[in-house]
Amino acid sequence: MPTFDFPALVWWGLPLAAAPVLIHLINLLRHRRVRWAAMEFLLASQKRYRTRVLLRQILLMCLRVAAVAGVVLALAQPRWHGALGQLLGSGRTSHLVLLDDSYSMGDLSAGDRLGESSAFDRGRGVVERIAGDLAASSGGHELTLARFSRCVAPPAGGLPRPDLDREAVSPALVQRLRDELARAAPAETGTGPRAALQMALDLFSSGADSGRVLWLVSDFRSRDWKAADEVAESLRRLAAAGVQLRLVDCAAEPGAGNLTVERLEVAGGVPATGVVVPVEVAVRNDSGRPVAGVTVELREDGAARPGVRIDDIPAGGVAARRFDVRFSTAGSHLVDARIPADAVPADNLRTLALDVADRVDVLLVDGDADAGRGGDAFYLSTALAPGAGAPTGLRPRIEPPRALASLDLAAFDCIWLLDVPRLDPPEVAALEAYVKAGGGAVFFGGPRTQADTVNRTLHRAGAGLYPVPLAGPVDLGHAADGPDVRVEDHPVVAVLSGQRNPLLDAVRVDRYLAVERGFEPAAGAGLRRLLSLRTGAPLVVEQPFGAGLVVAVLSTAAPTWNNWARGNPSWVVVMLELESHLAAARRRAESLEVGAQVEVALDAAADAHEVDFTAPPQGAVVHQTAAVGADGRLVARIPAAAAGGYVARWKRLDGSERERACAVNVTPDEGRLERIGRERLDRTLAGVPFRLDDAASFEPDSNALAGVSLLHPLLHALLAILLAEQIVSFFASYHLPGGRRPA
Amino acid sequence: MTPASRRYLHPEAIARIARLELRARAVVEGVLAGLHASPFKGQSVEFLQHREYVRGDDLRRVDWKVWGRQDRLYVKEFEEETNLRLALVVDASASMDYASGPLSKYDCAATLAASLAWLALSHGDAAGCTVFDDRVRASVPARTKRSQLASVVEVLETPRGGRGTAFLPVLRSLAETLPRRGLVVVVSDLLGDRDGVFQGLRFLRRRGHDLVLLHVLDDDELEFPFDGPTRFEGLEIAAELACNPRALRAGYLAALEEFLAESRRRAAAARCDYSLVRTCEPLDAALVKFLSRRARMPA
Repeated sequence: MPTFDFPALVWWGLPLAAAPVLIHLINLLRHRRVRWAAMEFLLASQKRYRTRVLLRQILLMCLRVAAVAGVVLALAQPRWHGALGQLLGSGRTSHLVLLDDSYSMGDLSAGDRLGESSAFDRGRGVVERIAGDLAASSGGHELTLARFSRCVAPPAGGLPRPDLDREAVSPALVQRLRDELARAAPAETGTGPRAALQMALDLFSSGADSGRVLWLVSDFRSRDWKAADEVAESLRRLAAAGVQLRLVDCAAEPGAGNLTVERLEVAGGVPATGVVVPVEVAVRNDSGRPVAGVTVELREDGAARPGVRIDDIPAGGVAARRFDVRFSTAGSHLVDARIPADAVPADNLRTLALDVADRVDVLLVDGDADAGRGGDAFYLSTALAPGAGAPTGLRPRIEPPRALASLDLAAFDCIWLLDVPRLDPPEVAALEAYVKAGGGAVFFGGPRTQADTVNRTLHRAGAGLYPVPLAGPVDLGHAADGPDVRVEDHPVVAVLSGQRNPLLDAVRVDRYLAVERGFEPAAGAGLRRLLSLRTGAPLVVEQPFGAGLVVAVLSTAAPTWNNWARGNPSWVVVMLELESHLAAARRRAESLEVGAQVEVALDAAADAHEVDFTAPPQGAVVHQTAAVGADGRLVARIPAAAAGGYVARWKRLDGSERERACAVNVTPDEGRLERIGRERLDRTLAGVPFRLDDAASFEPDSNALAGVSLLHPLLHALLAILLAEQIVSFFASYHLPGGRRPA
Repeated sequence: MTPASRRYLHPEAIARIARLELRARAVVEGVLAGLHASPFKGQSVEFLQHREYVRGDDLRRVDWKVWGRQDRLYVKEFEEETNLRLALVVDASASMDYASGPLSKYDCAATLAASLAWLALSHGDAAGCTVFDDRVRASVPARTKRSQLASVVEVLETPRGGRGTAFLPVLRSLAETLPRRGLVVVVSDLLGDRDGVFQGLRFLRRRGHDLVLLHVLDDDELEFPFDGPTRFEGLEIAAELACNPRALRAGYLAALEEFLAESRRRAAAARCDYSLVRTCEPLDAALVKFLSRRARMPA
């Protein structure tokens, strides 16, 4: 028996097949009247051809009725169930089920409260129903099941591997599928549908299946459809290839709202033993109402410590709190921040890994090595490392400029260049490479700084790392009242901002390096001011260079051209803030996303090759042997399948032990539960035939999708009917010679 | 024929000339522009005397027997050589009312008849006219007087009753009323009493008349270019037929072709000069074609 994918079309469309009969009847009522002389010939013709004409007209009518009916049936997509269908095709229907297992599918919302089952549970039920229905329906079915997280290539290399790959549907398969799905849980990734649809395109581009059905089981969050054009294009291509699109929505509407730990990061300071390091935790509220009194539970290296409380998070907004951590031992340390359980559990935890050193080295390159006390390096090193009473964790090392080319600059947290008269090309190259890789550099000016040399070797018309071209030293002159220095909007000097700051008011600037007149930074260069002079001229500017930052202070560090470093506490504060700010880029790089690879690079000469990884959430230990990669590095790695702190431990050849921690976190954006909605989905997929079902009321109706599609045979028959109609019409028609229109 | 006359003698132009006499004048003037002598001469005239040949005489009228006996050239002169009697017989039955263009078949037939009458009278010949359907509706005997054309036109414009056709009685009575042998021109669509027309023509032939049959048919009748559901109602036959004309066209054209072939064959059998006139073609062209063929015929 035939079935139709769109049976409603049959009932609404088939009456249209009567249209040719109706048109014929209407034509009978509106005959043209002609008074005719040569009736005898007409009557003779009618007598002679009556039977032939009648048969031809009946045939023409039948062909036209059949053509209309054929179009209607083709649109309704008929299928044939039964042995006869084998004559028309393989009779096998290929089903691809793409199951969204991004962590937003863990949404436990049930209306505005939390329920027992998540969107993933409903999606699992949908898949089971599809498989069960396929097993019970007639016709041959093949099932491919792929969770979104398995549609992306593994980070270690290789091809995506679906959960089931073109397996014939049988009761045994259904049972196996149930068992496997029972063990499945949402991944902690934010994988969208793009990779999954690419797998669908690859799968359906081959094979000679009679029917092809794509089941997209997802929660249809707006975030997944950000690249809506690309997703729609994939679906359009699938529909054009004859794939039936069945979309099943598993999310509960409306959602209960969700809180996400959006950030957990070092907010300054120096990660050194015994030094207080400020850490900032930010929580995002994705619900439609404000949330008050959120307690963030904190743990340091797995041990609970006092949490922090965020009093108020506005609807759709983010609120942040800072807290201090201090570690007494050097090495890798982990900080966890967890908020109370809500709709989506996966984004309630965030981990921060800190590499704490005994002391953090900073390099001070002094242009006047003989200056001693009273020189730039003295005042700066005193600010960065005041003494045992006020540990900053920093260990300044003063070197002449030539050391830039000989030292391993990567060992330094930051590099300060103090009134350096000139740098040779190897030194410039080493410094630029260091900053490009994420390091920070600060240039102080002074009497030895030559504007021409800086412009030629360091600025290079914007191509170098020095942020501005210099004109030369200029006297500021004295003002009767008002401060010489003005604070700009920048986090480093945020502590000094305010209406009047007596500490900054006390700073007097006598001389500074002026920027070339008419200089305009290139668009997108990212030049920012930290401090300006009362004349409006810049005093401290910052500009990114590669992955790092460069700051230019256009006056001296020592109280030669200004008095800032002479007993003014703001000097110490700003220099320490500046150091933290410049080193932040290197520290941020330590956080990975779930799905990436956690790896440790070993020293082949000093380390053993065996590494034990302790992986979250249960602390399972995974043993790995390091291997030399394509880049020549000796690396041990494991895939980060879950969020949390990963710790790698290995032995050195000298018998000592090393360990390194790495934080792996979920993509915070996946916690946004805003939904695309039916209206936007329709708009995005305009012109693409698809069917959207709700998981709660979902009926697979697989029987209708089984069997052999009659579409192609029907289209061929339709073509033959139209051709026959034209031929019969031609023989029943009258064509005047020379294109004259009939009377 | 001049280009100007060609332009004005198109059926649309002729149709705009309301009076038949003027229409006939327009046609004839166009024809005369291309003719130099009277085309009406022939076998029905009687021998009067011989006269000696002078330069310019038609060689076809030289009496070669006399030349053979006397070695001198004489031409034959006939009794009424310049006073031919032209009898125009015009079908005015209902079927002649069909018109796909500006002129109906009857308009076309009447214009042809008036034109021939004008032509004959302008050469001093006598012309008469009979208009008939199932009987004679109006008639005027052949005369040569100057007002004869008006009489012929008056007959042609006689109000018509839309009846059927009865050729045989009309032609038989015409044969009996014509006092002397002459040229009889029948203008008709031959629809209706088909046997009657040829019997009548044979009867006229036996009386010694020279016969011309001008068969007037409309273009629609010759091409049957109808489309769409149409109800045909007979003009003479009381019949109706609702049909798709495209489906019957082939059969219609076959029957028509058979009719035309039979008409030609039976006209030839009756020694009648047959000519098919289409209502769409310029009337002077039809007239010239006909007269040219007459001029080529042996005396």
